[in-house]
Amino acid sequence: MNPEQRLELLDGLLDGSISDAERLQIEAELIVDPQLRQEYYRRIRLDYLLEREAASLVVAPQTLERVSKSNWRVWSILFLTSAASLMMLAAWSHWKSRWKPVVTVSSAQEGVASGKLAATQVQQSARGFGLLRGQSEAVWAQGTLREGDLLPEGSLQLKAGQAHIELFSGVQLMVQGEAEFSVDSPMQVTVIKGRLRAQVPEPAQGFQIRTSAGDIVDLGTEFSIDAAEQDARVQVVDGEVEIRPHGSPRRRLTSGNVVRVASSGTVAEEREDLNLISPDQFQSMLEAQVQRHLESWQQAVADLRDDARLLAFYRMKPEQERSRVAKNLAAASSWAASDGAIVAAVPATDRWGRNGAALDFSRLGSRLRMTVPGEHRGISMLCWVKINSLDRWYNSLFLTDGHEDHEPHWQIMDDGRIFFSVKQPKDSAKASQQQHVYYSPSIWSSDLSGRWIMLAITYDVDQQRVTHFLDGQPISREAISDRALVENIRMGAASLGNWSEPMYRTDAEFVVRNLNGSIDEFAIFSGALSPQEIERLYRIGTPNAWQENDPRQ
Amino acid sequence: MDQKPSADSEAELVAQLTRSQLAISVYVRSLMPGEQGTDEVVQQTNAKIWQKRAEFQAGTNFRAWACAIARYEVLNFRKQQARDRRLQFSAELEQTLAMEVVELEDDLAERQSALRQCLDQLPAESRELLMLRYGSKETLPNFAARMGRSADGLKVTLHRLRNKLAGCIERRLANQGGI
Repeated sequence: MNPEQRLELLDGLLDGSISDAERLQIEAELIVDPQLRQEYYRRIRLDYLLEREAASLVVAPQTLERVSKSNWRVWSILFLTSAASLMMLAAWSHWKSRWKPVVTVSSAQEGVASGKLAATQVQQSARGFGLLRGQSEAVWAQGTLREGDLLPEGSLQLKAGQAHIELFSGVQLMVQGEAEFSVDSPMQVTVIKGRLRAQVPEPAQGFQIRTSAGDIVDLGTEFSIDAAEQDARVQVVDGEVEIRPHGSPRRRLTSGNVVRVASSGTVAEEREDLNLISPDQFQSMLEAQVQRHLESWQQAVADLRDDARLLAFYRMKPEQERSRVAKNLAAASSWAASDGAIVAAVPATDRWGRNGAALDFSRLGSRLRMTVPGEHRGISMLCWVKINSLDRWYNSLFLTDGHEDHEPHWQIMDDGRIFFSVKQPKDSAKASQQQHVYYSPSIWSSDLSGRWIMLAITYDVDQQRVTHFLDGQPISREAISDRALVENIRMGAASLGNWSEPMYRTDAEFVVRNLNGSIDEFAIFSGALSPQEIERLYRIGTPNAWQENDPRQ
Repeated sequence: MDQKPSADSEAELVAQLTRSQLAISVYVRSLMPGEQGTDEVVQQTNAKIWQKRAEFQAGTNFRAWACAIARYEVLNFRKQQARDRRLQFSAELEQTLAMEVVELEDDLAERQSALRQCLDQLPAESRELLMLRYGSKETLPNFAARMGRSADGLKVTLHRLRNKLAGCIERRLANQGGI
């Protein structure tokens, strides 16, 4: 057999289309020929990848079944078995590295961006033993940590404020600044100094805290400690703990006991309560805080409605139950957009935690339909979005039907770059037929999955500049060349969260481009908002506490 | 003594299992060429690995251990399906495959990226054909009939397209390494 014939047999083998005799023949070859086996592995991987590609791209009626059986199911068992592993797989966070500096795309690079795809992270992994559940006025020595971030390994220093940490073992920790500690594993924390309260659920019994004075091992429920260099105070809030002082016998403490353990090993009774807030109390405090933010945001939206530049402001909550209309709240523009018609998308929880106040666009065909009249000298768009994953080549934000001259398209590539373009008229004397796309650098890392972010774009005709924003901060700016400049932008009929295809086609097959995620607010302005305006809209619109020490400012 | 694995070792195991997904998939597919149900077997294997996690000895080769479990799950699957014995490779070949798959480079992400670039270079018609074929679970003759083509002709077309893609991917991967 020549190499080509052997390859044909391999393909036949993998296709299930060879005879028994051929099968025996290729098996014999596989046994003796290591090179052929390597070829076999390459073909298997190619098949595997092609199947994944096919599953992620097009959903035609005949392939629906295959998509629903995609490989993700493989993970479902793992997920069910261990919630901890879910978090570890789904989240991937680098300390401080998530926010990239503003990138200015030079004209030399402009030609490079071509809409083609870069590498996708296929197998994900992450490091850490727990995550930050919430915080209040927290100042971390290492930089900014945000709600939902994985806690980095190694020493952590909370200089001020409070932090609620959830370990993968289920242990809830409240840490009070100033504190210095490290999470060694989901079952062990070392405290150099600081005050900390631990709530230990039954599956995590045996959780221990190490201090300079000795170890404290939980035997059930809840305790507080106040550790210093020379000693540690321990209070059992509820249940039982065992203290293991250095060089002294172990001792059990029960509810109400407060002791001081010295590094010399002596243990003395104490009277003074440690008085630390519990994780539950802290969460209800945070909820109250979110509620206050929401109220001021609602006030800001009421003001915004009178801004004559506001063409559309959709809050994804129909006014009446069962209604499929999202009202356009913009009140002052003579070019105000229509109300939005909800298609396929289903109610979801919004960024403030309110049920049914956002729309989940992950169901096939989901979109919000609208018409935006008029011609505009530049535009700005702003969207609060929670992305589950970028599993399509193009993940839609806002796209006009088809792609006609003067019209903008805003979407996210599967590698996390944000795509924005405005189609130049073909008959223009400005010559260039090449459609220019303004890409941002990739914003995506899987720790953004399931978290609310604010994306914004401005197309500034006067300054000839396109700027992408993430959470109120510019992430890239690019000059609009004279050739590419479109001075009057039109939108007309458009969709949020999807593209119009195949609305006007007779072929039922369509490309899957709906956003796999939720949106709770979307706004369009005529003209370009300033970076300060975008930042302000983020500041008052974010449910999280605005951190004054945020290095991104 | 039967000891429950610590949270530490569980986290490590999840990481190992994540890193070994490609190897497990390739091994299962290599044992079941042209058969349906590889996804189910991989899923079963993952579940079994998780069940047996306490038996894994830290420091030994995780992938080899995972492949041993995968092989058992393939046998199990065949038993359930009451499959024809002929479809099985010799034990010798199955063992060789397991040993080699463990050593395969973990470059799925690079391969996927290369594949997409290579797909883009194909004529749209070829690309569509591939996506339809790989998006379908039908046998080749049934698929060919639906496409209105002869099975033999289609087999040759697909084979050529795979050759093209395979060559293109290897070239791209080689270039990446060189830069």
